[in-house]
Amino acid sequence: MARINAQNVSLAFPMYASAHAPGFTDTVVEEDRLIFAADGNVKGIKALDNISLDLRDGDRLAVIGANGSGKTTLLQVLSGIITPDAGEVAIYGRATNLININLGMQSQATGHRNITLRGLSFGQSHKAIEAKRNEIIEFSELGRFIEMPIETYSAGMRMRLSFAIATAFEPEILILDEWLSTGDASFRQKATDRMQSFVNIAGVLVLASHSQRLLEENCNKAIWLSDGKIRAEGPVTEIFNEYKKTK
Amino acid sequence: MSNSTGKFGGKLQSDDAVPTIVYSASASNGIGAVIKDIVDGWRMGPVWRAFAWDEIQNRYRRSVLGLAWIAISFAFFVAAISIFFGGFANLEQTRFTFYVATGIAAFQFLIGAVSDGCVVFRTSAQWIKSAPMPYSIYVYKSVARGILPFLIQMSVALVYMLVMGWRPTISVFLVFPAFAIFLVNAVAIHWLFGLVAARWRDIEHLVGSITRVLFFLTPIMWVYGERAGLVRVISNVNPFTYYVDIFRAPILGDSFIPNAWWFVIAWTLVGVIMALLAASQMRRRLPFWM
Repeated sequence: MARINAQNVSLAFPMYASAHAPGFTDTVVEEDRLIFAADGNVKGIKALDNISLDLRDGDRLAVIGANGSGKTTLLQVLSGIITPDAGEVAIYGRATNLININLGMQSQATGHRNITLRGLSFGQSHKAIEAKRNEIIEFSELGRFIEMPIETYSAGMRMRLSFAIATAFEPEILILDEWLSTGDASFRQKATDRMQSFVNIAGVLVLASHSQRLLEENCNKAIWLSDGKIRAEGPVTEIFNEYKKTK
Repeated sequence: MSNSTGKFGGKLQSDDAVPTIVYSASASNGIGAVIKDIVDGWRMGPVWRAFAWDEIQNRYRRSVLGLAWIAISFAFFVAAISIFFGGFANLEQTRFTFYVATGIAAFQFLIGAVSDGCVVFRTSAQWIKSAPMPYSIYVYKSVARGILPFLIQMSVALVYMLVMGWRPTISVFLVFPAFAIFLVNAVAIHWLFGLVAARWRDIEHLVGSITRVLFFLTPIMWVYGERAGLVRVISNVNPFTYYVDIFRAPILGDSFIPNAWWFVIAWTLVGVIMALLAASQMRRRLPFWM
């Protein structure tokens, strides 16, 4: 049984003079999300504020929100990449995330080699990876490009390979960020089909996107993040329409 | 697959089932979390071995001679130092070459641990920000990658020495505990410098400027026992003096610098404790510094 149970999760990004806060690169931050130190300097930004979620088998959650609302941060916290300051996230089952298309790839290595490296990083054995290799190559539609370094790939090709690898090893929980929309229409259909079949086997899907169509095709419930808080939750279309009114 | 009810109608896997993993501040802080990271990462041997091998291949991918460059540049360096500095030492010339070759190999492995350590997490930023793997994987990868040049250099040195008439004594087996200690230190150094340098970017430059000087302050192209005064005082304070010595002396059949092993054990303990403390305090924040 797959489940994500997040209880009262809060996270502040610390601010460092020379470091930028991940996920906040192109963002207008609301004044009240800034955390000030005693000397008046900005000490951090509240990225997530008391978020609770309980997702179980068959739940396909759409994460909706403007840039900087905390979508990517929430996915990173649910994936265990960033640890929350308060609250906890309990994961039941094998989780796989695809948060950024360029991340987790060795750009000088071939597509073949990246299948191996990614597979190993998911905790798969060499044997299990070989068993899935052809299926991954076929699904990614890369053909002979699989023997080229992935630095020669387009964004869409990288996305297809990442998606093919991540879904090949039958994760019980799949966490995906925006970039699925970089695929063309036919690949999106294929990806949607695969996600459907995976969720039908009893899994949990979390998908963040600005594309209403993508979310409606893949999800059966939605949360709307605003300033790091859950502003509304409910059916995908309803929540998305509410969200659109504020734009 | 959703087994909400079991054979007797009771809940089989329900709310009280044990989570696969829990992410929280308390679960990722403290010494316990660091030890868990170190152990879990070690168990993922196939991952860091594959990463290490990949980086080695990348570095020499488009060069004709490939890994042979490690042997060539080592041979050049040893030859140059032996020729130019041989006259300043009382050792006989051939023996001085042995001394320089083994000293450089040991020193470069150790100093490599420091300089690779400073960038260990920064160069793995892509993975740290995308895969929830133990951070120790990147440490093991980097240490493993450093072993290969060391082995190549030592092979060159040993072949040359055998040809030139060197024969090992029984004490040569002491290089194995010495190298084991090197590895423990390399892991500790990677953790400590990796975290500190990720948080404060100046550390990397500071370390870079110090390591260059250390080569001259460590008895590699001069002999500890032949020097007195300030040079002696500095090399007594410099831990590399002892580390290099516990590796080099058994090969050359020399006696150790007094208390060399004790100094090494003490410095190792200091390093391991500092690394554990730093990791227990800083580990959770690492993704923010990338």
